[in-house]
Amino acid sequence: MHTRSQTHTSRQLPMLFFIAWRNIWRNPIRSVLTISALASGLIMVVFYSAMMEGMLRQMVYQATAISTGHIQIHRQAYIDDQDMYATFPWPWLDAIERDVPGINVAPRLYASGLASTTESSTGVMLKAVDPKREPTVTKMLTQVRSGTLNLGLASDSAEGLPRFYVVVGAQLAKNMHLIPGSELILVTQAADGSVGNGLFVVSAILKPLSPNFDRMGVLMSILAYQQLMVLDGGFHELAIHVEDAEHMQAAEALLVHNIDKRNQAQPLDDLGGKAVLRNWRTLSPMISDMLEMSKTINFIVGFIVICLASMGMLNTMLMAVHERSHEFGILIAIGMKRRWLLLMVMLESLLLALVSALVGVIIGISGISAFGERGIDLSGTMPDGYDWGGLVFEPYMQLYIDPINILSACVLMVVITLLAAVIPAWRTVRLDPAEVMR
Amino acid sequence: MALLTLEDITKTYKQGELLVHALQGIHLNVEEGEFVALVGPSGSGKTTLLNIIGGLDTPSAGTAQLQGTDIAKLKEVERSDFRLFELGFVFQAYNLVPVLSALENVELVMVLQGLSAAESRQRAEHYLQLVGLEKEQQRRPSALSGGQQQRVAVARALAAGPRLVLADEPTANLDSENAGALLDLMHQLSHEEKTTFIFSTHDERVMARAERIITLQDGKIISDVRTNKHD
Ligand SMILES: Nc1ncnc2c1ncn2[C@@H]1O[C@H](COP(=O)(O)OP(=O)(O)OP(=O)(O)O)[C@@H](O)[C@H]1O
Ligand SMILES: [Mg+2]
Repeated sequence: MHTRSQTHTSRQLPMLFFIAWRNIWRNPIRSVLTISALASGLIMVVFYSAMMEGMLRQMVYQATAISTGHIQIHRQAYIDDQDMYATFPWPWLDAIERDVPGINVAPRLYASGLASTTESSTGVMLKAVDPKREPTVTKMLTQVRSGTLNLGLASDSAEGLPRFYVVVGAQLAKNMHLIPGSELILVTQAADGSVGNGLFVVSAILKPLSPNFDRMGVLMSILAYQQLMVLDGGFHELAIHVEDAEHMQAAEALLVHNIDKRNQAQPLDDLGGKAVLRNWRTLSPMISDMLEMSKTINFIVGFIVICLASMGMLNTMLMAVHERSHEFGILIAIGMKRRWLLLMVMLESLLLALVSALVGVIIGISGISAFGERGIDLSGTMPDGYDWGGLVFEPYMQLYIDPINILSACVLMVVITLLAAVIPAWRTVRLDPAEVMR
Repeated sequence: MALLTLEDITKTYKQGELLVHALQGIHLNVEEGEFVALVGPSGSGKTTLLNIIGGLDTPSAGTAQLQGTDIAKLKEVERSDFRLFELGFVFQAYNLVPVLSALENVELVMVLQGLSAAESRQRAEHYLQLVGLEKEQQRRPSALSGGQQQRVAVARALAAGPRLVLADEPTANLDSENAGALLDLMHQLSHEEKTTFIFSTHDERVMARAERIITLQDGKIISDVRTNKHD
């Protein structure tokens, strides 16, 4: 005998769906409990991933917006041994900004030195920025903890030399008992071989930009730096902000091309080495690694939570299939194929999973939205924010809803619950109708 | 050729060490359109025989053929289709899918057969009318009496257009009045639809409505009588 009904599965499917849907509501309390368990699992996963995502975004923001920028350019010798003479010529600054659209640039210079007050002295790291350009690239100059930021001229010294304001890191300030208004003597080895020294006035104390800056950072204007260091031929570092951060790679490519061109027109000296471009991922490898790792952790956490939640589904469907064995026996007797029955049980699980996903996503998203833009406010317990992994965070935990994360959590849940449903569904395949109806 | 031919059917169950001879050498021919009662004491093998004819169980020896098809030789999927297209079933109780209305229960078999939704609906309504349940067609089984549920099961069995309807104690859960009414209905439809019925029963009054009474005892046919009942 040939199998006549095989060709028409499209006609049977709606009926199987229909029965599956009705079967869910046959034992409403049990189904609601199952849905609650699955939805709660999903809510937890959605919440967790929103928290992780929010933290990562804060981290990336911290890494890029506060002091690093998206991309930095140095010369090889500067990267290798902080060669003071490995600078880019000043004309490069305007030229790069002019030729590459959609970016802002800020030049920086560095040196090490010795800072002294009447009480103590300590080794410091000098960092020089352009007070006009820096704000277009980073928020460094807004990270004031106390005082008022000023990198300009304080007063002329008795000998008529200009005296500049500087800004210092919080830990350094604490160690050297510096407050806004304190005077500071800086001594360094200047570029011309002489001993550079000068008296500076602290205008403000910065929040930690990085652990290093916090401990030994002294921030000054490029003008002040040039006077102290007798180094005005160029800059050490170019920090770049890309307006459209989603298309950083395109900007990087343009920059590389532009630097090549510039190098051909006006070659850099050999000693300083070639120009090297690095993005924030390379500059902050820890954060970059953490981004990658968090995806895996997210997945593992989601997998475990959803697996636990789907135990409820497994139990429900096992009970349902057991209770209905007589009914299934009748259905097989009247000509229901076992694979249709299997499909029916799987559809029931699928519908349960989909309803749970819907409930979970709706509650999860509205719950997250309830916390608003800033996320969970921790300023009550940690007014200064918290520092973690070498970065300093604002005192709130941002929650970020990533549609891809939510979609993957839903897909993961549906797949796991369907896998769990295979066990009860398989029982229908092995059901002996004569046996169950006896 | 007879519609149904059973040749030397034997069924032996193993229950631990014990062998239970449920059927022992059954020979039987059933012609098209017959209305047959299978009677006998409990444990005589009625259910076993009906299950073998219905392809729900396989004989230990012997062959059961429906119009030349050896039922036991069918593969699982073919047997499924065989039951779907050639047979109708009415069981003792709880025949219906509880989450479907009377109408949807009747439609179900036709949908499984691959009939269009519209045709299934039309035929289902027709057969529910034949069993006198046009008013109850939207009700779920839980809202129907036992007798009404059995009538829905009869409508479902016939709507699929089978050659043979097998009913294992269809009246066992009904009072005698309802049992008689159900049998009258089955008998009448058997004639109108020219469908062969084989049903098992314990009930004397029920078996009195049959045209042929086959009596089983200890897995053997001990009598096979045709009454002259022709309406
Ligand atoms: N799966 C089985 N395993 C073992 N023995 C079985 C099995 N099925 C039936 N039997 C035995 O086979 C014999 C016939 O059983 P069957 O159910 O066919 O009788 P019946 O005539 O339908 O009885 P009743 O009128 O009580 O329904 C009985 O002795 C029964 O115990
Ligand atoms: Mg029986």
